[in-house]
Amino acid sequence: MKRRTLLKLSVAGGATLALIGGGAAVFYAPAWREGHLTETGRRVLGAVARAVLEGSLPAEPGPHQAAIASHLDRMDATLRAMSPATQREVGDLLALLALPLGRLALAGLATDWSNADVAQIQSALQAMRSSRLALRQQAYHALRDLTHAAYFADSATWAQLGYPGPTKIE
Amino acid sequence: MTTTRIPNPITDGLARGWRVFGGARAAAPAAIECDVVIVGSGAGAGITAELLSAAGLKIVIVEEGPLKSSADFRQLESEAYPSLYQESAARKTADKAINILQGRCVGGSTTVNWTSSFRTPPSTLAYWREHFGLSELTDDAMSPWFYQAELRLNIGPWLTLPNENNDLLRRGALKLGIAAAAIQRNVKGCWNLGSCGMGCPTNAKQSMLVTTIPAALDRGATLLVETRADRFELQAGRVAALHCSGVQPNGAIAADARVTRIVARHYVLAGGAINSPALLMRSAAPDPNRLLGARTFLHPVVIALATFDQLVAGWQGAPQTIYSDHFLDVDPIDGPIGYKLEAPPLHPLIFTTTMNGYGRDAAARFAAFPNSHALLALMRDGFHADSPGGRVKLRGDGSPELDYRLTPFVMDGARRALLTMAELQFAAGAKKVFVGHELALPYASWAQAREGIRALPMQPLLTKVVSAHVMGGCGMAADDQRGVVRPDGVHWQIDNLSVHDGSLFPTSIGANPQLSVYGLTNKLATQLAKRLSGREVKLAA
Repeated sequence: MKRRTLLKLSVAGGATLALIGGGAAVFYAPAWREGHLTETGRRVLGAVARAVLEGSLPAEPGPHQAAIASHLDRMDATLRAMSPATQREVGDLLALLALPLGRLALAGLATDWSNADVAQIQSALQAMRSSRLALRQQAYHALRDLTHAAYFADSATWAQLGYPGPTKIE
Repeated sequence: MTTTRIPNPITDGLARGWRVFGGARAAAPAAIECDVVIVGSGAGAGITAELLSAAGLKIVIVEEGPLKSSADFRQLESEAYPSLYQESAARKTADKAINILQGRCVGGSTTVNWTSSFRTPPSTLAYWREHFGLSELTDDAMSPWFYQAELRLNIGPWLTLPNENNDLLRRGALKLGIAAAAIQRNVKGCWNLGSCGMGCPTNAKQSMLVTTIPAALDRGATLLVETRADRFELQAGRVAALHCSGVQPNGAIAADARVTRIVARHYVLAGGAINSPALLMRSAAPDPNRLLGARTFLHPVVIALATFDQLVAGWQGAPQTIYSDHFLDVDPIDGPIGYKLEAPPLHPLIFTTTMNGYGRDAAARFAAFPNSHALLALMRDGFHADSPGGRVKLRGDGSPELDYRLTPFVMDGARRALLTMAELQFAAGAKKVFVGHELALPYASWAQAREGIRALPMQPLLTKVVSAHVMGGCGMAADDQRGVVRPDGVHWQIDNLSVHDGSLFPTSIGANPQLSVYGLTNKLATQLAKRLSGREVKLAA
């Protein structure tokens, strides 16, 4: 049986809780546990990566899958270096986005992350980005910035940027 | 395995027997006694450590971040941000509208800054004298304190030609008929690599890491690294002890963390703005006028990227060597908010997270990285009633968070700054300009940019705003109605506690603040050394 945890959100999160049914708390599957992304977290971030990194990820299916897998490993390491407070916030955000009601309320995405196509996820991102609700804007920035930071940390991506890498100092 | 010819003052010092505890090294003792504890190891802490140790005082330095050296500085953002910056370079204001870059390592922000060195502007000191009663802080009185810091840290003109990223600022300003000038830098034998923000790999940058901290350690100072100052133990209006815990690399405190209690005659708080007021808050320090943590300033920064026909290579060469203060001077200091223009370095993570958007549009913009130019405008906050700065608060786990509201007064400046930067970039020959705003389209001409930027809603979270300068929160003033700290740096209510860092500033500076911290703390620490030891010391001849 999947471990379920009581979701606690900050003041900003209160608005979303109200949106998804007015309850004070809901049960959810954690996205971040014991210093690692869970399958739940990887599912959301993998779908976000497909949309945010469209045009940067390899086009062929095999290399595309491999690039996303290694991106998610870097994302895991990126988050592990974050402060406990940031880990809690990002973990809560991803867990909320993984819930059908949370996904609908926060991202406006009707289809599950795994089944949504790139265009659907991009229109969800755009709706968050231009939303008048601060929590949705914050979610957009967190997802987009973390994705770019983790992806372009890999020196294998630098050729796309025309970046030669650090100057040798031997 | 490669060997490097770069001398390494840190590994050399450790081999000579420096007393460094914490992290992977021997655990700090559970109890320590000394003359003075210094919390932090950045600009104010380093200057203080050098002067107090020169006076023969037994000091202990407590730093939350790790001790790294040139051998660790591999010019990689993915290594530098998690190991050398507060909250992995992802520290944010409470509303997530401003990302804050602040150092967290031995040397503090001086280890990772871009070497820009300016004395405190005369108009800023005049404002402090008028509004905060800091009558001693005249240009003439401060000049020797700045001068000594400049000598000690090799601050001077940078005689190499600016890189193209900075020269575009110079040429654009020339076209617009506004003044631009060269920035002084604290370097010695700089290789012009452009990697300052990831720690100097050649030890050319005269940060606290390679200057004052080694000097103090050579005189027998003790350094605790990866150790957080949790709280001051207060008794009868004085600090009785400082309680510390070992921290994990991400700042978490393990259940079995090593704890240390340090007893000293005097305590110097120099953990940097945000962190210094937070430590006083965790200590339940007296705050009769609710000033602690208030008036925290950020120099909010807005950004414009542009693409040019020619190669810019914004990663290459000394960062920030040209500036313009034209827009700080068009209005009085207490009028509409003014801004300083500089050209920051570009590396893959900074570039791809600063450029707007996602998907194929973003990928196309990223492909133009080598031809991309960056300008920033840092706004001089804190000189007007509508720019009161932010307030530091504690989260449930005791970690600090800054609540900073971007007021319409500040955002008016942000719009003017975006207009200025786009105009300047087109004047310098830009083909396209991308201003840091979620609703901004790429502009292909100044006319298009002017129309577009005028129509943008200047709201937080739509407008990209960052900060690399955190100031205030333990403000200095001539009376306890206006400040947390007295003009001699001592806390108004706790007389064996001094604050020696950028949190002292009663407003922002209006220039990159490192030399302001060096100059003011040089004065305070020289005088503190005399009071505690009876000895005259000097940072430089």
